[in-house]
Amino acid sequence: MAERGPGPTARLVIALVLAFGIASVQGLAVLPYVFVLAIGLVLASGQWRMVLRRMRGPALLALGLCVVLPLGSGTTVLAELGPFRLRLEGLEAAALIAGRLLSIVAVTLALLAALPPFQLVAGLRSLRLPALLADLALLTLRYLDEVTAELRRAHLARQIRGGHRGWRALPDHATLLATGLIRAQARSERVWAAMRLRGYGAGLAMPLARLRARDWIGMSVALIAALGVIWLDRVL
Amino acid sequence: MHLPDGIVPVEMALAGYACSAGLMALALHRIKARPDPQAEIPRVAMLTTVFFAASLVAVPVPPTSVHLMLAGLMGVTLGWFAVPAVLVGLFLQAVLFGHGGITALGLNGVVFALPALLAFGIWQQIGRRWPDLGAFLAGSGAVILALALFATIVLAGLPAELDAAAERMALRIFVLAHVPLALAEGVIVLTLLRVLRRVERRLLYHG
Repeated sequence: MAERGPGPTARLVIALVLAFGIASVQGLAVLPYVFVLAIGLVLASGQWRMVLRRMRGPALLALGLCVVLPLGSGTTVLAELGPFRLRLEGLEAAALIAGRLLSIVAVTLALLAALPPFQLVAGLRSLRLPALLADLALLTLRYLDEVTAELRRAHLARQIRGGHRGWRALPDHATLLATGLIRAQARSERVWAAMRLRGYGAGLAMPLARLRARDWIGMSVALIAALGVIWLDRVL
Repeated sequence: MHLPDGIVPVEMALAGYACSAGLMALALHRIKARPDPQAEIPRVAMLTTVFFAASLVAVPVPPTSVHLMLAGLMGVTLGWFAVPAVLVGLFLQAVLFGHGGITALGLNGVVFALPALLAFGIWQQIGRRWPDLGAFLAGSGAVILALALFATIVLAGLPAELDAAAERMALRIFVLAHVPLALAEGVIVLTLLRVLRRVERRLLYHG
């Protein structure tokens, strides 16, 4: 998909345009069209398994909203079961918020989650993001897996050794975190030395080449789709 | 404690972007005034990676387990660099894991970056004279400010037709449920800064 579809810069723009278009939806009638748009993008990305896996958290949140809002908010009672009352306004609000949430997350993940880190950061640089932010993002992504694995190993080792439980375990966690920070400080000195040796000056990630025709087409289609969603929301 | 996509109106989300951009511009201005800001990028990136990774690990805080926010600790160790670090972390969480959201990025930036700066201020003002008190207040205070900002944004952003009393009650429960997190982060920052003061003072931000 990364080879065939729009480039990273265009993907970032498309994701933002579509996300804000979907976020501006106020009525339930347009939600089916939004779902079609989101599902279409997820299928076109060829990454639907990864998108579904990463949507577990947002889906749980949406489920929570769909349980809490209809039972706890609104005045028009639709049904009653013991102490529970299902209310129309809460149900509508829950459907709207959950629909927008899941669609935006699906669109974002379908467009951006599969991009290699360097391309993602280069895309940000092309959007005139300060070099400091782009370099920070690139280095963070570069070392994230390594540091996460180190921290998980340290937590596992602590559990195996036994030790305190509950509140009394908090200082142990703080000590593990301190160890991680001290290692990070040492690693950062090596990284900075390597960066200087390679002639670091204007940022690690260079801005990408100019946008190609398919990037412009993709962004135009996204803008039309977002405006279409907003227009449909007004007229339906 | 991330604001997800789709909860608040678009106007609020855009206002959040504007506020975060303002905070970012102020932070960059302060960062550029430092002697060699480029040399600090690897250090800030490595610490951001540790904070990011640590926030993914659940820590037991009875009666449950929680993911730490660490905004206070970021403020104390990164100072003004905490603002770009927070925004980078939130962006990566949104686009890679679907946590938070791309439209709510600006608002989430405010919810996390302002408490980090508050913690930085507390540490600078109180921590020098009473380090343990400063550390605890920085850790807990950041969580409490983040909760207050989060609750205010959600109350202002939810649809008007919803039951305001029910909304307030739900938020009150949410805030009370996070009180143990505020205490836990206070204890963690206190313990951690004791270690860093003894072993690696360079990790404490000066300036």
